[in-house]
Amino acid sequence: MSVAFKPDETFRDDFTFRNSPHAIRRFPLPFPEDKYMYSVNIEAHRPGPVGSVIEFAIDVDEHYVAECRERALVLQEDPLRFQAMPHMMSAQWDCLELIMESLSRDYPQHFTLERQGNRWVWTNRPLGIHQAFTFGDPATLPQQPLDYITRQVQGDWVVMDQREGDLWAEAGMVTTQADWSLNFDIGMSFKEWHGPVPLAHEMGVFDRALKYLLGLRLNEPVRRLNWTMTVNPRLDTSPETYHRWGTDRGSVTPQNVGDKVHLRVELQGLWRLPRSNGIVFSVRGYLISMRELATIPKWAKRVHRVLRDLHPALMDYKGLTRYRDTVVGYLAPFDDGAPTTPGTAPE
Amino acid sequence: MSHADTIAVRVVAVEQVTPQIKHFKLAAVDGSRLPAFSGGSHIIVVMRDVDRVHRNPYSLLGIPGELETYEIAVRRMEQSRGGSQFMHDTVQVGSTLEIAHPVNLFGLSKIGRKHILIAGGVGITPILAQMEDLHQDSVPYEIHYSVRSPEHAAFLARLGNRAAERLNVYYDSSGDAIDFDGLLSTQPLGTHFYVCGPAGMIQLVLAKAREWGWPESHIHWEQFSAPPAGEAFDVHLAKASLDVHVVPDQSLLECIEAAGVEVPYLCRGGVCGFCRTDVLELDGELIHNDHYLSDEEKASGRVIMPCVSRARCRKLVLDL
Amino acid sequence: MLVTGIKSKPVYTPLAPDLTGRYHLMLGHGVGREPLLRVLRDLRVAAPESGARTRVLFVGSPDEQAAGGEQFRAAGAAEVRLFGRPDELLTDFQDVLTHSFMGTRLYVAGPESFMGLAMRIARQFNLNKDEVRAEECGSAARRVYCIHCQTATENVTTNIVQCKDCNRWLLVRDHYSSRLAAYMGVMVDAEAPGERPDVKEVFP
Repeated sequence: MSVAFKPDETFRDDFTFRNSPHAIRRFPLPFPEDKYMYSVNIEAHRPGPVGSVIEFAIDVDEHYVAECRERALVLQEDPLRFQAMPHMMSAQWDCLELIMESLSRDYPQHFTLERQGNRWVWTNRPLGIHQAFTFGDPATLPQQPLDYITRQVQGDWVVMDQREGDLWAEAGMVTTQADWSLNFDIGMSFKEWHGPVPLAHEMGVFDRALKYLLGLRLNEPVRRLNWTMTVNPRLDTSPETYHRWGTDRGSVTPQNVGDKVHLRVELQGLWRLPRSNGIVFSVRGYLISMRELATIPKWAKRVHRVLRDLHPALMDYKGLTRYRDTVVGYLAPFDDGAPTTPGTAPE
Repeated sequence: MSHADTIAVRVVAVEQVTPQIKHFKLAAVDGSRLPAFSGGSHIIVVMRDVDRVHRNPYSLLGIPGELETYEIAVRRMEQSRGGSQFMHDTVQVGSTLEIAHPVNLFGLSKIGRKHILIAGGVGITPILAQMEDLHQDSVPYEIHYSVRSPEHAAFLARLGNRAAERLNVYYDSSGDAIDFDGLLSTQPLGTHFYVCGPAGMIQLVLAKAREWGWPESHIHWEQFSAPPAGEAFDVHLAKASLDVHVVPDQSLLECIEAAGVEVPYLCRGGVCGFCRTDVLELDGELIHNDHYLSDEEKASGRVIMPCVSRARCRKLVLDL
Repeated sequence: MLVTGIKSKPVYTPLAPDLTGRYHLMLGHGVGREPLLRVLRDLRVAAPESGARTRVLFVGSPDEQAAGGEQFRAAGAAEVRLFGRPDELLTDFQDVLTHSFMGTRLYVAGPESFMGLAMRIARQFNLNKDEVRAEECGSAARRVYCIHCQTATENVTTNIVQCKDCNRWLLVRDHYSSRLAAYMGVMVDAEAPGERPDVKEVFP
């Protein structure tokens, strides 16, 4: 399908990012019930309904061009947002193949990949890129393979090496993260990397998730949803730049909350990589303002109840402490107390 | 493995490489490129025999970057479940088979500083593909290949061309044996070794390695994990009101599915927990082979993972 | 934001000989001498023949070196090397690892910041968890990595600290990177400029 891009949106300074009505209706609400607690909510990453964010393996939406520009800006200021340890080169090529194959198969009007043995030609029309290169030879690309291709796709990408019965985060492109640092975490084991997450360790979530991922099969990717909230449609909420966006959290008022506070949902995909036997973890963020969310009556009620009853440790972890009550106050008038229908469909 | 996951392949070449080993090349029936893989991977080959289906794992021995064909080597096993005999006696150029996507349980450590690959007989197959992966890198490696006699030494030319002086071949017939003490006593830190071969050889290498103080994280050997076969048993599915007979070489899950009952699953390998099923009645014992249930749950006899676990019982009723 | 109770913080246990190992390489700093002496003595009881394959690298004051050198030998160490500064020891350690064999077990005892630097070197030689043991003793001072300007401040004993490079006040979290051999320091008053807790000594 053809996507109508909004190339001039911004995710900083004047924050002109907005969702079209179509983008609102396809927003991946992560709450199938009126309450929220962790679970190992992993499912097969099979193609979903036409038009949904899971119709294809990798979603390209109206924000694509603008998000790629935002990524380039972040990298220009801080090149350490892309890193790869030397032993991850075959995994880098695996990722490049996965992304090029998916985009060209699912969005042929925007992307084309021609393969003749190791001679590949890649065309990315929305970004105006045409590149001939030799698969397996890093010298034929302007950047390292993972750096090169993840500049042309939305979401963050973390590549894990599998050894010693563990998964080690040893390469990645991370510019749109919810407050974690690739530069600090690179080289960590699965549980070290997830160290700052509260409660879930005690619940055994990471033991089960790790066990499961170690057995992840080729051609059988999986996905899950995660969420947090962000003040302003800011993609780069990294620890590195916390000194710039930290004050945002205190800037929420009953007057501006509808436009300022965004639910941020991560569609996380995990693929076994063929040549390296590693795993790539994609974290694709979707933002929706409270005002946009409230255009779907069921979602307004649902999110109101989830936030009102959220566990205090999760509230702290997700950085909501300073403005949760204001958001709950904004959504309360939309909640008539009537039951919601199960599932996340808008009704 | 469900059939939707398999790839239809045609045998495009067969060669008898030793008196006991046949070498097969497989290409996708639809002419497409086969999935890329890493050295040490195996595939499950599905063989439709006259009265039954064989599902055997075989290591991929070809070059991981060359995906027009997959290569496997099959040693005729005298007391096999029948798969190797089927491959030797029935399969020929033009035969079609199904395969599952590759799985690697014998991967090289990417941070290893040196690799020692040890093979006995047909155990050379995963080592061949590992050698190709190592050839791409500049990390030092050695191959030690032990066989009965020159006529049993499969793939010698291929090994020699690639590994050259890094290849060491030992013939039992000449009284050669790998000097494991010499090999394991003075390796630099960061060395990993990989062994594939007869059980006795693996046991010997592991014992020697431990004697020389090697830690487990640097020791690798081939170990397949598939639903184990077992005795036949009968199961009643309460919600479906169906009786199902579970045959020795099919899993409980496969037999339930064959009876037309869907069970949710993701991994079919005893890990994800999706096919976890409540046991309503049991007269006998459950044989748990999964990595998901806790020890308490396993001991309770109230829950089972039908993808890999079985039962030895007079009566079993499942909540399906 | 979690500050304490983060699972990436290393867990240390009292040292004991690992009898599955063949060669025993020990690194000590200051009061780290005691645990190493204990390992040597236990090793001599449990596996007397392994004494010939033990080696100690020790850094301490001149007095500690003099006493340590004698005690290590008396406890059965085949080789003892003494250093006045940690960086000298670590340089020698790298050289020793280059010439060591598989089957070596590493024992490290001393302040955490010293051990972190030693473990980082061991990691470059692909020494895994099952080859390394560590016991924390002495100062609990931390190396703190400023997430904003990417520099490490040494010997931090307080809950918050001013980054030596960018001068931001950093909250010291339990999140630990063994690659950087440091804890994460993140700006403490980013949300409310000037709102800082009192400086307290928490890693004496």
